[in-house]
Amino acid sequence: MASAQRAQKDRVELLQGTLDLIVLRALATMGPQHAYALAARLEQVGKHALTLNQGTLYPALVRLEQSGWIKGTWQTTENNREAKYYAITKAGRRAIEKQTERWRRLAGLVDKLLVSEGA
Amino acid sequence: MAQLRRLLLRLYNVVFPARSEPDLARELASHLTLMEEDLQRHGMTSDEARLAARRAFGGVEQTKEHHRDTRSFVWLDDVRRDVAYALRTARRSPGFALLGVAVLALGIGANTAVFSVVNTVLLKPLPYQDPDRIVTLTTDLVRDVGPIRGNIADADFQDWRSQATTFEAMAYFQGGATAVVVGEQAEYTRLTRVSDDFFRVFGVRPIVGRLFGPEELRSGPPSAAIVSSIFAQSHFGGSGQAIGRTIRLFNRPLSIVGVTPSGFAFPDGTEIWTPVPLPNAANPLLRIGLNFRAVGRLKSGLSLEQAQSEMATIAGRLEQQYPDTNTGTRVVVMRLHERMVGDVRLMLYMLLAAVGLVLLIACTNLATLLLARATARAQEISVRAALGASRGRIVRQMLIEGLVQGLAAGTAGLGLAFGSTKTLVAFIPGNVPRLDEIAIDQRVLFFTLLVSLISSVLLALAPAFHASQVQLENGLRQGGTRSVAGGRTRRVREALVVVQLALAVVLLAGGGLLIRSFVALQNVALGFEPQRVLVIDATVATADPRQNASLFFRDLMAEMSKVPGVVATGATMAAPGRVDSTGAYWIDHVPQPSEMRTGSSNVNSIVAPGTFAALGIPLVRGREFDDRDVRDAPMTAIVNETLARRALPGQDVIGHTIVCAFDTFEQMTIVGVVGDVRQAGPADESRPECYMPYLQHFYNRATLSVVIRTTTDPMLLSETVRRKARELAPTVPVRFTTLDALTAQNVAQPRFRALLIGEFAAVALVLAVIGVFGVMAYVVSQRRAEIGLRVALGATPAQIIWLLLGRGLAVIGIGLTAGLLGAALTTRYLGSLLFEIKPTDPLTYISVAGLLAMTSLVALYVPARRATKIDPLVALRCE
Repeated sequence: MASAQRAQKDRVELLQGTLDLIVLRALATMGPQHAYALAARLEQVGKHALTLNQGTLYPALVRLEQSGWIKGTWQTTENNREAKYYAITKAGRRAIEKQTERWRRLAGLVDKLLVSEGA
Repeated sequence: MAQLRRLLLRLYNVVFPARSEPDLARELASHLTLMEEDLQRHGMTSDEARLAARRAFGGVEQTKEHHRDTRSFVWLDDVRRDVAYALRTARRSPGFALLGVAVLALGIGANTAVFSVVNTVLLKPLPYQDPDRIVTLTTDLVRDVGPIRGNIADADFQDWRSQATTFEAMAYFQGGATAVVVGEQAEYTRLTRVSDDFFRVFGVRPIVGRLFGPEELRSGPPSAAIVSSIFAQSHFGGSGQAIGRTIRLFNRPLSIVGVTPSGFAFPDGTEIWTPVPLPNAANPLLRIGLNFRAVGRLKSGLSLEQAQSEMATIAGRLEQQYPDTNTGTRVVVMRLHERMVGDVRLMLYMLLAAVGLVLLIACTNLATLLLARATARAQEISVRAALGASRGRIVRQMLIEGLVQGLAAGTAGLGLAFGSTKTLVAFIPGNVPRLDEIAIDQRVLFFTLLVSLISSVLLALAPAFHASQVQLENGLRQGGTRSVAGGRTRRVREALVVVQLALAVVLLAGGGLLIRSFVALQNVALGFEPQRVLVIDATVATADPRQNASLFFRDLMAEMSKVPGVVATGATMAAPGRVDSTGAYWIDHVPQPSEMRTGSSNVNSIVAPGTFAALGIPLVRGREFDDRDVRDAPMTAIVNETLARRALPGQDVIGHTIVCAFDTFEQMTIVGVVGDVRQAGPADESRPECYMPYLQHFYNRATLSVVIRTTTDPMLLSETVRRKARELAPTVPVRFTTLDALTAQNVAQPRFRALLIGEFAAVALVLAVIGVFGVMAYVVSQRRAEIGLRVALGATPAQIIWLLLGRGLAVIGIGLTAGLLGAALTTRYLGSLLFEIKPTDPLTYISVAGLLAMTSLVALYVPARRATKIDPLVALRCE
């Protein structure tokens, strides 16, 4: 019980907007994916360090789709189940660079601030 | 780009909120299925897998809610739903909704129309370049008849112009309706003689042609003219065609050198401008005659106060330099806009306030209706609350219902205003400036929106308050048809009726005062009889009026006196109401130039024999002018009673001589005394007047008004006059009016005010009485069962009526008292608009209170009386 609480504490809460970038990157490297596969992939990459109800993906997906960066189409899985596959668009690829750059700047800034506070 | 795309898609989802729902549900189901199958492949049973998948996924409904939040604007969606709900509610009782919107639309439309007038006349800057820098310069001096304001002396202007440094340009002008001949056609147009720099003051350049050149501004009769684009269009077919064409003014040719841009018609709709040279400042007479008006353009960045203080210094210098003529003469600098609208500002704001009060009463009235309905809707509201709608949500629902109604009414009101502004403008007296510019612009639209929003909130406030008070169980249990928040709702309704009554009293008091004031104006004896008198203006366009003008008028009068139905004929320089010349007079004394300031001031006029009879001015003593008073005979004059009394108190002026500063300083023998005339309408005091025979004076005699008293409608004679005039002299333009019409102009503003405010007050009265009736009918319906019981137990009709009246009487009493207090506080702003009536005129207040009390009592009595007819059996069974 105690260890479970500690594990909970060590998990990282996602910053607003970072999920969008993570999803976008995942789609760029993995090719078209459905939401479940994306969620499974993120859990795997994050080694369970991310607090992520799979449902929380959906707002990110609708944001990205409304921005025109990804596009969802209904297809069938290899097990012959229907699923909505999301693919990154050209605009989405362009956005990755911009968003990554923005994220790095922000992260660097936070880093610097934390260092100077600590000193 | 991505952001814009997202915004549009979110808005799309606000409008079509359900489009994405099936797809989302399908996707979530697929997500869970995939996960379950996956987990089963890893060895879970199907039940375990379903639970594990749910846990890993999180709440499905929450996900959907988040999805909605993200893809759409949820608060907007709520508003949309409330609007749809409000529209459904309106559809369910369309009569009620339409009535509300119609009443409100009338109120908003009236407010919009009045505001569009206020906006154009008072708020919109004048359509000239840097209008804030354009000022008028007037002299302000005290003569024995009281202060004289307005016109300036041309010689003074010459000094102002050469000494002032705060002005970029300064000009003076003079003019009015003038007869001109274009081609073969003689007509009256508005002509203004203007000095150099006149157009520079307004920043106006001709659209074709040029301004006046230096040679045209030299002394002597004018040779050039600038015309308005309207004049150029109507007379020559266009601005370009007008250049170089000729207009004849007093038989001298004027060549058109320029055309002004459309919209420029200063002053007073001028169509032709001719140059007037600067005067000889050395002539002392030119400092006495106040015959011009002046305008100036301030230098950029300088204030009105700076210009005013500089002009005060200059005026002080002139006082020392010319003590005989300029002592006590001050200069007033005022913004042109202020000068134009200063007189009508109070009236227009009063109108706006009155029409605003009407709307307020209408809103309050509708609010009581809505409140009644909110009571009837208590069940619906309770159900909504039971289903989880928060109190805030329900209040918002009510506000949005008000808003929907208000905006619908605002749109309809705007339509009404578009249609009715023209009618309103036609009613406004002509001396309100800038009426031709009135239009519905952005500011008016904004005003309408604002008024609509305020009305919406006012409408919704009481029902919203009521809805927030609904107690859940009560509403559901009682079936919600009756007394839900009983006592409190009744108090709100009664308060609303008190407000309506009080506002109605204020409006009625204001209207009553204005009407009484107007009646008082109508009852003043004017000193002449305006009925059935035709006034014919004619100008004999001859270079030398001594030759032909008098012949024309003499012959026309002789011809007309032979026409059947003509009682008397005459001719005058200025028909009553059109004072043309004021000056000074001396009795039995010929003044020296240094005595110019010693004369008492008076009004001058020249008249033909028969004029007093035609106008209905009584001859008090002595004789009328007749054929003895001709050119080479001894000079004579007739004075009015005021002049006779002031000049020689207690003596007879007949036989004494008088000198008038008019066109000659020769002594004239006074041969008669006539009655006083109120020249500027009933509110004006009679002034000393001197009449001179037209054949002995030549100033201005080319233009006279022939006056004909008839036994029938005077306008019927106009064609005969026109024909006779054309036979006598084909190029003399004539125009017609009646003395009645001229007199009506003087009281046009009081009439307009009394009429409009009176109408508003009548509407307010009707609304307030409906309000009283409504609240009483409501009380009766609330107490039906109780009344039934009382009747069953033997109460008499009289007892029932008294029981019900008690509270209503208290409401009326409070409303009337509050209204009378309010009226006492507000009507004092009417002071300057009232004639012979005090703002606290007790008779008006008593009549208004009495009128409202009487009508309200009837409104109370009718439902109370009906209550006595309640069948106790039916009433009790209902319960």
